Amino acid sequence: MEQTTHQQLTAYIVAHQEDFYRLAYSYVKNRDAALDVVQESIVRALSKSDSLRRPEFLKTWFYRILLNESMNYYRQSRRLVSLEEARPDAAAPQGDHAARLDLYDAIDRLDSREQTIIRLRFFQDMKLEEIAQMTDTNLNTVKSRLYKSLRKLRELTGEECSYE
Amino acid sequence: MNDPWKQAKERYAQTPIPEELTFAVASAVRAGSRRRNRRRAFHRGLTGMLAGCACFMLLVNASPTFAQAVSAVPVLGNLARVFTVTEYTVEDREHLIDVRLPALELEGATDLEQRINTEIQTRIDQVLQEAEDRARETKAAFVATGGDPAEFMPIVISVDYEIKCQNSQYLSFILTKTETLASAYSEYYAYNIDLQAGREVTLRDVLGPDYVELANQAVREGIAQRSQDPDNSYFPPEEGGFTSIAQDQTFYLNQAGNPMVVFEKYEIAPGYMGTQEFEVPLPTAGT
Repeated sequence: MEQTTHQQLTAYIVAHQEDFYRLAYSYVKNRDAALDVVQESIVRALSKSDSLRRPEFLKTWFYRILLNESMNYYRQSRRLVSLEEARPDAAAPQGDHAARLDLYDAIDRLDSREQTIIRLRFFQDMKLEEIAQMTDTNLNTVKSRLYKSLRKLRELTGEECSYE
Repeated sequence: MNDPWKQAKERYAQTPIPEELTFAVASAVRAGSRRRNRRRAFHRGLTGMLAGCACFMLLVNASPTFAQAVSAVPVLGNLARVFTVTEYTVEDREHLIDVRLPALELEGATDLEQRINTEIQTRIDQVLQEAEDRARETKAAFVATGGDPAEFMPIVISVDYEIKCQNSQYLSFILTKTETLASAYSEYYAYNIDLQAGREVTLRDVLGPDYVELANQAVREGIAQRSQDPDNSYFPPEEGGFTSIAQDQTFYLNQAGNPMVVFEKYEIAPGYMGTQEFEVPLPTAGT
């Protein structure tokens, strides 16, 4: 039984590796760093696969590890922003309403928790319940953050970003 | 789904996937599975034993290489030298301890030498004992609140020393103990020795009778200067900030022989400011 959980997890990871990479990349914006994050998450997940008792939570469980790793990297790298990266960002502060951002770029302006919700919901097509489990928050918090993020995005892009 | 979302999703989906990804994933899978097997083997082995059993590694300095290394320590004005007397690592489920313990050799001042060495030894023993107790308590609390014992992050403790000043007159070194649980916390013990008089140096010896005022002034100036940077902040004096140096103020002598007053993390400033050190200039001769 335990054996199969581990095998299931391995199979799941191998099958969805590109999704993991894209998500990691969306935080760290760097190819090598994203590879690192994915690798580190896999090593951590597999070495602790025995603590995953219920295989039906495999997906949310793995994403939680992946998100944690990405977030750690993201926070570290934000503290150590290189000069060239810092410049354009400083040149276009949030108040610059005239220059409308592309929706994709606007997402990077959200705080990291909001980014997570938007990406998981719209790019990885996750259910809000799943997102709540992955981020260790309750469903209502996820919902309210989602609406707040959508409002912010609307301000940033000047476009109607309602969904569905 | 309207257009901007479609576009954004498209852009997301087009994130280029590096060729190495498959290989990176495969090697991570291997590494993770290996680590898991090790973990399991370790757990099986542990069940038969008492939980408190620790793997103990002691690097005894009996080897000829070590003897050679010791003799290579720079001799401090022929009078004193500090060398690593013990270096050991303890590794078990609760903590990881790394110790580099200094000892002092003073020519012609055996009393002082002995006193300081004993003091270092007792202090470190006590510190380690406390740390071990704390690690055990933390782990017990972690397990009692539903944590998986296998996931407990060992507490990392390291003890090391740094020589701050060595000349024919003074020897000053600092002993640091760092304990890392979630965040790191360090404690400093400073030893300042007047080699010629063969005794420990006090701030008064270095700065003269007005040492409290001199040091306070230097610290206040230092705080005022550093506070100009908006990223820095100190506790205001009425809220536990700096008012005056302590009777047994920690300090060491820097390369120039000036005393550096040391305040530990949280002592006079918020934690993010870390340890705060201030140089106290020597009073100019004649005053």
